[in-house]
Amino acid sequence: MSALVAAPQTGAVTPVGLRARSRPYRAIARATLRSVLAFRLQFALSLLSVLFQLVAMLTVWHALLSARSIPGFTWPQMEAYLLVGFSSGTLVSTMSDFRVSYRIRTGQVALDLVKPVDYQSARLAETAGSLVTELASICFVWAVMLAFGLRIALPPTPYLALFAVSFALIALLKFSVIYLTGLLCFWTKNYVGLQWCRLAVTSVLSGAVVPLSLLPHWLGTTAQWLPFAGMSSTPGLILIGDATGWYAVRLVAVQLAWAIALWLIARLAWRGALRQLTIHGG
Amino acid sequence: MSTGTDISTDAPDPTGTGGGAFGSEDWAGANANANANVDGDSAGDPYGRGHSPLRILRLYFRFLGTHFRGAMEYRADFWIMMVAAVLTQAVSVVVLTAIFRLIPELKDWTFWPIVIMFGMVTLGEGVGSLCFEGMWRVAWLINQGELDYMLVRPYPVLLQVTSSEIGLNGLGNITTGAAMLVLGILHSSIHWTVATVVVGLILLVSGVTVKVAISLATNSASFWVASPSPLFAMAVHQAGELTRYPLTLFPSPLRVTLTVAVPFAFIGFFPTDFLTGSHALWIALVTPAVAGYCLLMAVLIFRRGMLRYESTGS
Repeated sequence: MSALVAAPQTGAVTPVGLRARSRPYRAIARATLRSVLAFRLQFALSLLSVLFQLVAMLTVWHALLSARSIPGFTWPQMEAYLLVGFSSGTLVSTMSDFRVSYRIRTGQVALDLVKPVDYQSARLAETAGSLVTELASICFVWAVMLAFGLRIALPPTPYLALFAVSFALIALLKFSVIYLTGLLCFWTKNYVGLQWCRLAVTSVLSGAVVPLSLLPHWLGTTAQWLPFAGMSSTPGLILIGDATGWYAVRLVAVQLAWAIALWLIARLAWRGALRQLTIHGG
Repeated sequence: MSTGTDISTDAPDPTGTGGGAFGSEDWAGANANANANVDGDSAGDPYGRGHSPLRILRLYFRFLGTHFRGAMEYRADFWIMMVAAVLTQAVSVVVLTAIFRLIPELKDWTFWPIVIMFGMVTLGEGVGSLCFEGMWRVAWLINQGELDYMLVRPYPVLLQVTSSEIGLNGLGNITTGAAMLVLGILHSSIHWTVATVVVGLILLVSGVTVKVAISLATNSASFWVASPSPLFAMAVHQAGELTRYPLTLFPSPLRVTLTVAVPFAFIGFFPTDFLTGSHALWIALVTPAVAGYCLLMAVLIFRRGMLRYESTGS
């Protein structure tokens, strides 16, 4: 509270210092976490949906790999790779699509415009809040899989560090993609269709269900350079030891570049989108 | 009150609640009828109107038609839904192609029979969204108290609920599903006789019925699970997606669950198995029975839910 300083012209108080300025965002994150915890059953059921996809892919790949071998993807490697795919599907999944689009579709966004917080950062704060429970459930599923005979040959420590960075970037990348898709609601009325399109494109181009190197050559190589690869393929390949040396570093660099680029693109898109907004009194 | 005049407005009704304008003299009759509907039949209809199957069918198409006209007011949204449906199916085809580029057959199943199976599941999904999308709104209707409006209208509640929305993505799913089915059939050498054609059609219709019935049953769970969105039904739906792949791949507990407890396997797997290989007589006999059973159970569960329904009171 001591960090509040009156602005010379308007007399409005603005917080100074990182701690004070981040306070509203921390509050938003906490509030989101609390609401996720209040709807535990919903969260568990939505997790169940993603789990069934994991079971389907594990079964199909198990049948395939017991019939033939694929260099770079032994069964334990494939298992770990698909689990990374599952984790990326779980991160930033709790109602995030809904939260981003609902405000725009209902016009609540008009109220957000008068609040002294940055819109995009506030949505990121919400995402961060729900990340806590998502990470907990990811850990739980990994633990269960390890208990039921999943054996991962962990890569050397530098690669583990690289994996950690790459895994953290999933959240930021996914947030930006979802946020950008949500902004399209300034032009359309329907969001479900947009969400389905996003899910379809992401599931193939991120390599979450089929490793990019096993897709048709032209598709796989294109996908490598797109932002979607960073949402599952890159961390997966690093964890199972298929991406090593400078190749691994390059993959993470591409991921980081896209994370920054998409964040900035989203800022620009927001400015453009606001011109679409008409507020009818009230 | 003349049938249907209150709903055939030309204005788009995106919320899908239909028109709600009652003449004041209709209130008493409508309320009495609503009580009858809660009990699951219309025997207490004070005007003796009854609901003949033909009338219900006519009303049903009328309701859907209203929503169709409403939805078509939003052209861009229509195309987004179509693209979304086709993209989603394209993804499964890409995955399938990638798998069969690596391996000629997956536990005795080759590419084209699996395409037939995908086609059947997709077709079932498409019919579900196009004709019965309203089922997926049960949770929202309860949560928002909108079900109350339906109770006071002189039509069966189940009819109003199932036709309270139209899922235009269903058109996309039906198209892609039919395409997959036809392509799959053309590429797998099925020996066609009159009997196979007849049984094939029966199996197709039964499969679609099973899909719709399971959706209705799981969505009716919303009467017990308080939540604005049908997450239970979605989770079960996702489990059903497993049956796009041959059932024989899965461990036996899962196989039993998908055959007996929630019989998704009768939507695509058993019909395809019948057509492309086994010609097992029991499949031809059991599948329609399963469809009938599922439909009966779904309606019973919905009625049990209605008996339990308490308005949100707002």
